[in-house]
Amino acid sequence: MATKIKVQRLPAEQMFQKEINALIAAEKDPVPTGWKMSPRSVLTYITGGKAGKTIITPKYIGNRRLVEIAIATLVTDRALLLIGEPGTAKSWLSEHLSAAINGDSTKVIQGTAGTTEEQIRYSWNYAMLVSQGPSPEAMLKSPVYNAMETGTIARIEEISRCASEVQDALISILSEKRIAVPELGFEVPAKKGFSVIATANTRDKGVNEMSAALKRRFNIVVLPAPADLESEMDIVKTRVEQLSENLDLNSELPEQEVVEKVCTIFRELRMGETLDGKQKLKTTTGVLSTAEAISLLANSMALAGSFGNGVITDYDLAAGLQGAIVKDEEKDSLAWKEYLENILKKRGLKWAGLYKECKELNE
Amino acid sequence: MDDMLQVHNADKPVIFGIRHLSPAGAWHLRGLLDKIMPELVLVEGPSDFSEEIVCLPDKNTKPPVAIMAYTSEPPVRTILYPFARYSPEYQAVLWAYENHKECRFIDLPSGIFLALSGCEGSDEDTGEEKWAVYDKLSGLSGDGSHETFWERTLEHSSDFAGYWKGAEVFGKNLRALTAGQDSSYAETVVREAYMKRQIKEALDLGIPPEKIVVVTGAYHVEGLENGTPPLSDEELKELPCVETQKTLMPYSYYRLSSRSGYGAGNKAPAYYELLWEGFQRGEASYAARSYLSRLAAWQRKNGNIVSSAEVIEATRLSFALAGLRGYKLPALRDLRDAAVTCMGHGKLGEIAMAVADTEIGTTIGFLPQGTSRTSIQNDFYRQLDELNLKRYFSVTADDLRLDLREKLGVKSQKAAFMDLERSFFLHRLRVLGISFVSFNPGHQDRATWAENWVLRWTPEAEIEIVEAQLKGDTVLLAAAFQMKEEAENGGSIASVAKIIEQSFLCGMPETASYATSILQKIAVDAASVEEIAETARQLSLVIQYGSIRKISSEPLVPILNQLFLRACLLLPGCCICDDNASHGLVQSIGILNETAVCHEFLPSERWVNVMKEIADRDDLNTKVSGYAAAVLLERGELSNEELELKVERRLSKGVPADLGAGWFEGFSMKNRYALITRTSLWKSLDKYLDTLDDEEFKRALLFLRRAFADFTSADKDAIAENLGEIWHLDTQEIPVEEEGLSQESQVMLDELDDFDFGDI
Repeated sequence: MATKIKVQRLPAEQMFQKEINALIAAEKDPVPTGWKMSPRSVLTYITGGKAGKTIITPKYIGNRRLVEIAIATLVTDRALLLIGEPGTAKSWLSEHLSAAINGDSTKVIQGTAGTTEEQIRYSWNYAMLVSQGPSPEAMLKSPVYNAMETGTIARIEEISRCASEVQDALISILSEKRIAVPELGFEVPAKKGFSVIATANTRDKGVNEMSAALKRRFNIVVLPAPADLESEMDIVKTRVEQLSENLDLNSELPEQEVVEKVCTIFRELRMGETLDGKQKLKTTTGVLSTAEAISLLANSMALAGSFGNGVITDYDLAAGLQGAIVKDEEKDSLAWKEYLENILKKRGLKWAGLYKECKELNE
Repeated sequence: MDDMLQVHNADKPVIFGIRHLSPAGAWHLRGLLDKIMPELVLVEGPSDFSEEIVCLPDKNTKPPVAIMAYTSEPPVRTILYPFARYSPEYQAVLWAYENHKECRFIDLPSGIFLALSGCEGSDEDTGEEKWAVYDKLSGLSGDGSHETFWERTLEHSSDFAGYWKGAEVFGKNLRALTAGQDSSYAETVVREAYMKRQIKEALDLGIPPEKIVVVTGAYHVEGLENGTPPLSDEELKELPCVETQKTLMPYSYYRLSSRSGYGAGNKAPAYYELLWEGFQRGEASYAARSYLSRLAAWQRKNGNIVSSAEVIEATRLSFALAGLRGYKLPALRDLRDAAVTCMGHGKLGEIAMAVADTEIGTTIGFLPQGTSRTSIQNDFYRQLDELNLKRYFSVTADDLRLDLREKLGVKSQKAAFMDLERSFFLHRLRVLGISFVSFNPGHQDRATWAENWVLRWTPEAEIEIVEAQLKGDTVLLAAAFQMKEEAENGGSIASVAKIIEQSFLCGMPETASYATSILQKIAVDAASVEEIAETARQLSLVIQYGSIRKISSEPLVPILNQLFLRACLLLPGCCICDDNASHGLVQSIGILNETAVCHEFLPSERWVNVMKEIADRDDLNTKVSGYAAAVLLERGELSNEELELKVERRLSKGVPADLGAGWFEGFSMKNRYALITRTSLWKSLDKYLDTLDDEEFKRALLFLRRAFADFTSADKDAIAENLGEIWHLDTQEIPVEEEGLSQESQVMLDELDDFDFGDI
């Protein structure tokens, strides 16, 4: 935070350097081998609290128990797999966990369709390999390799996007806890403290389904969508503010009421029931994640700023909602129409305008 | 333990504060009893139950069992004391029996208890303030649940002194926080004074104080130890008292887990039993290990693969989770979370059934024969009496005809609605599947105020009633429970609608509204129009005729509205179907149309528009389109010109024969008289048939035959007359082929016989 370098984004451990230092300084509980602080301090770092006189900001707003399970998993040197819908802070949590535990969240492999086995294990500097033959100097170590050598945590993002042979390369690493380098005739054993945090997207299910053998080597924690309306509205408001600064949207920030409307509709359709739990609803095919709510509002701001009077109207909102909710014409539009008639129509004056605009788009 | 006992004042009986349904409490209590070897064990429980106590240690008795008292007079109120194997109270009774010592219950007799709890402002065991304290405790403990806090601090304490002191401190603090503000505090004071009186009586008998052990809830320890005097004779006389019946009944872990409240329930009885076994085996981590292995075993038995490695990992994780909070042993919460993470792939849903089985279990208690009559039996006989149904209590089948309308000219309100009350009662028994009653629907459609029943008593019916005791304490409660269960497991919306109908028949509006909320929930996923139509029909009936049963059917209106809307939205899409499916659809449209006609609150305009859409579109099943047109005609939404236009268009040369005739089939299913009188229609049909060639005609014939199949012969005559007019034949002049068929016609008919209708 203090550094004025023009970087778009600093890694977590640099951004929250002060808090991490304070927690280490105030440590009272035993620290596991290879960790920078005790499991309990890691919990405080993630969910907020106090370390001596320093206030620790909460990094993950949500189910505290899930964070406990995640940390306990790493204590038992098991690998951790965070699963969730898009936009449920999986990567965010994984970054902060490794930042707190190791003070280093940069040993990352981004899982893509193009990720190769070498990127999980090691590859070679071919110029050196050709000129000098295989030697430890000619080796290019992967983040996982590095983590094993130093006894720290490696992160693998979007593991279910990797091809299955790449995923399988992890199996032996996680069960044997060593990498063999046959070219040089030695094996690298993992130092104590080594572990892996992987993230996977539920919506990618079936793309490269993880094998049972690999799944078995992970403890799986499923991250849910924000638990209640208030916390979701908080998240949405903060992010929309940041976005509008970056993007110069020329529009006033959405009013509390607008945010509430969008979050309410998104939450209700996502959960398949009204907020008061009295009525069940049809869900839509789309995710309707918090992230989408954010982009919907930013979009509406752009609409209002560029073509309207700079204030988000029900008209702008209705267009955005239609686009966000009706992804699959037949199914979603049925669900959306039912929602409009059964729920929105009966919500009274505050919602009447929005109902009218949405209905007109559906005629 | 010795230190603890030495500190104890030797002049007073030893008071052991427990938590109800606490394995650790039961274990440490037995330890204490073995140590002291008291002559008398006094247990918190209604003192008039001392006779029933003897049944508890019987070798044929298998816990969980419950002792129950209920008022003899309606409204029936009950108090219930469930005992599991690990209840300290149960172990105290068992210990006394094994060691040939005396054991007595010392709390208020059930009659006073029920009389007090009938007073305003008090309710059995807990006031709301006490709950508020529990909530606060839940928050402070960091586990978000006081159950978990209890488990960690008391149930895991393998140390006698730890448990004793812990429970005492907790009880005292709880008391300090709630005393005076608690709405049931007055009752608590009376109860404690009565218990003191009982203790004093025992002391007066000359039993040395150090040979008496009092087992009571931790909350009461201070109340028993403080200096307030015991209840005097005069005070005792002044207490209200009602007549009660007592019974022992088998209980189940399932019911134990579904009751809430301190002392009355226990969320995870099967797991607590594991804790109890752990104490008996002297292995502190026994429950944790057994829990996870049992869960895995259940999963395997039900076809889900769980490896031993996963069980080991789950065990490690659960210990790590407990460690994170500074505890040595995992609590149930840790175990379950660990199981979800390692065996359920992060989702509780995957192992939910196994969790339920391992935590709750299916254990059902058993009592030897010859125990007293249950409350539901009493309730049954009382109502039989009240409703003048005693004379049907015989092994021969008797008919009973009920007229549900208010009887004018009788004196009392009760007599005026006697038959209605009877109907409610009999329907409730029917819901419970008690073979005493059988319902004869008869002409239910014509007269909703008349009902026919056949009553016949058999010994089986008695057993069925006793079994129903497990569902509820009275016929009403049991029926409510049964319908609630059925509604929850109902599945299809039509079956839940049936429950709603039943609950109206039983005169139980609460159950009806509960089932309605369930219906609303599952109605969301209902995709088939047929199902929606069937449900709408049932709801519509209830709304139409509910008034005869003096129950408001108002809550059903919104849900019928929703279903109707969904049907309107779905209907056009469903009409793209083959002829087999069209039959059901036509029926559904008929039902929905009738429903729309019956209830003004339904959006009839939308319905008419949907009908218009179906009638107009050419890409839908023509039979359904035809039927929709018929609906419109019936509702007067189709003018003569429009009708003619439609008929011309549908029955024109370009249209394939089977489609045209199919349309006509659908169209002719309604308002036949109106159709017969419309000559223009028959002209169009005639013209259309003329345009068909032989092959097409044969195809069309199939549909036309079907269309005319259920016209009466008078209808057919009228149509023939119409056609005669069109063909300019004088009806009088047409030769009637009476004496056999002409050869020509015979040949034609023979040809038709060869025609395979099945081919089309």
